[in-house]
Amino acid sequence: MYEIWLMANIVWEMALGVWPLVAAAALLWVGLLVLAWRRRAAAAGPAWTPALVAGALIAAVAFVAVPALTRSSLSELSYWVDWLSLAAIAAAAGAAAFAFAWPLVRLWHSFRSPHPTSVSQGA
Amino acid sequence: MTAPVTPSRGASTRRQWLKAAGAAAAGAGALAATVPARAAAIKTSARIVIAGSGLGGLAVASRLSELLDGATITLVDAKREHHYQPGFTLVATGVWPVDKVRDSNAGYLPDGVQWVQEMVAGFDPAGNVVVTAGGRRIAYDYLVVATGLHLDYAQIAGMDVAAIGTNGLASVYASPQAAAVTWGALDAFRAKGGHAVMTLPAGPLKCAGAPLKMTFMVADRLKQAGTLSASKIDFHTGLPTDTVFGVKVVNDAVLGRWKALGVHTHYLSKLVAVDIGARRATFATPEGERSTVDYDFLHVVPPMRAPDVVKQSDLAWKDGPFAPGGWLEVDKATLQHRRYPNVFGIGDINGTPRGKTAATVKKSAPVVAGNLAALIAGRPMTETFDGYTSCPLIVREGSAMLIEFDYEGRLTPSLPMIEPLQESYLAWLMKVRMLKPAYVAVLKGHV
Repeated sequence: MYEIWLMANIVWEMALGVWPLVAAAALLWVGLLVLAWRRRAAAAGPAWTPALVAGALIAAVAFVAVPALTRSSLSELSYWVDWLSLAAIAAAAGAAAFAFAWPLVRLWHSFRSPHPTSVSQGA
Repeated sequence: MTAPVTPSRGASTRRQWLKAAGAAAAGAGALAATVPARAAAIKTSARIVIAGSGLGGLAVASRLSELLDGATITLVDAKREHHYQPGFTLVATGVWPVDKVRDSNAGYLPDGVQWVQEMVAGFDPAGNVVVTAGGRRIAYDYLVVATGLHLDYAQIAGMDVAAIGTNGLASVYASPQAAAVTWGALDAFRAKGGHAVMTLPAGPLKCAGAPLKMTFMVADRLKQAGTLSASKIDFHTGLPTDTVFGVKVVNDAVLGRWKALGVHTHYLSKLVAVDIGARRATFATPEGERSTVDYDFLHVVPPMRAPDVVKQSDLAWKDGPFAPGGWLEVDKATLQHRRYPNVFGIGDINGTPRGKTAATVKKSAPVVAGNLAALIAGRPMTETFDGYTSCPLIVREGSAMLIEFDYEGRLTPSLPMIEPLQESYLAWLMKVRMLKPAYVAVLKGHV
């Protein structure tokens, strides 16, 4: 339990260190979700699959790039705990990418929709 | 052709959103379950003085301000800048810029805690008074000694702290600036290579892993520059044969790696003098036999002792192994002074068998604050400290070993699945990205 509490505090303090960025990203995400919700009637294309693909791509990029971004390299990963940790970090990056991609894809579909009047259905 | 959105899809989406919100709430609930439970604050009018504003002093101040209601808590220290000392080795080896280890004490002072911005000049434990450098006498009911230790560079003849960074002279401990210019000296040295002389005195040290990390990183920087094969690294220690670290399994692991790197070890060899201009260091054996070596790069680790204000007070050990250094005489389990029960100690100043690291403070601050609060409340002190210390031992840029141990030298990994002696990217990642946020959480009394 202590280790979970400690990790939660570490994440909190890391977020506090870049709180303007975190706040801006959170606002942007909420804004995107609201927009996607309001225009959901016009969004007719699939959003899950493209968003999942975007998330998977970002996760793959993170998996390769994070060691170098932390002044290490993939060649230093010689221990299963290292691989697990890196996979978790990459998964978190992928999840964040998915969270942003999903409303963006929905919005993209809604703006491409040939039935703009259907937007009002969500109001 | 896009399909029209039906109400059922909308309802389905709404359900999905509600499910997501429910999952988030459940996650928050699970996290809340890990939050340590806190008892109601103890009502008291006790006057508590905390001498020192390093990690130990601020962490205890933060915890006491939560545990006590009505106490007068006074922090005494002239230092305004706060140093993240565990980051000094990263600065000194070119991994971090120096500004990452500099901060302000004011930002971490808990609400309601008074700050007397003067150095402590004297302790009068019999009279329950602390005297400041300005002559102010501050009476207390309870005292927490958190002064840190004294870097005794003066024991090395010819040593000049102001000259660190020049003529191949390096020392990671003195200050953030010293760490920064140590990197300058190392960076210049690695370009051409040559003779590196690393040192380690006998006696208690803060972060006893730092001299080892510096040695590993000097080797790694030379290797990166392609000058390792044209260089020689000598490690001189005042410790007995085959000893560079107090925990045997770690010691043996380090020596094995150094052998592979070509680091030459010299035991019972204490740095006693340095001629900075001539780049010449003098070592002495316990029998007084002296030898002089020329160097291109010298890493000085000073002997360490209690500051004079503690050493010359009645708070210091009077006999035993901690008496020569003047360390604070505390019980190693409760961290309460052995002769003055209203006095506690935390951090580097404590005369305890091991542990002068930030990790030690992380685990001992709750013990000191908890026992002091219990004493004030008239309850038995139940918190005990096992000597926990942690050392992310950097073995090269990008890899480290996460070593945790207790008073007895037993390895005590926080995460049992992690093998302490295994070189690991995770340990490196923790060192460069995660331990500073953990340190800040300790400062705030959260962990």
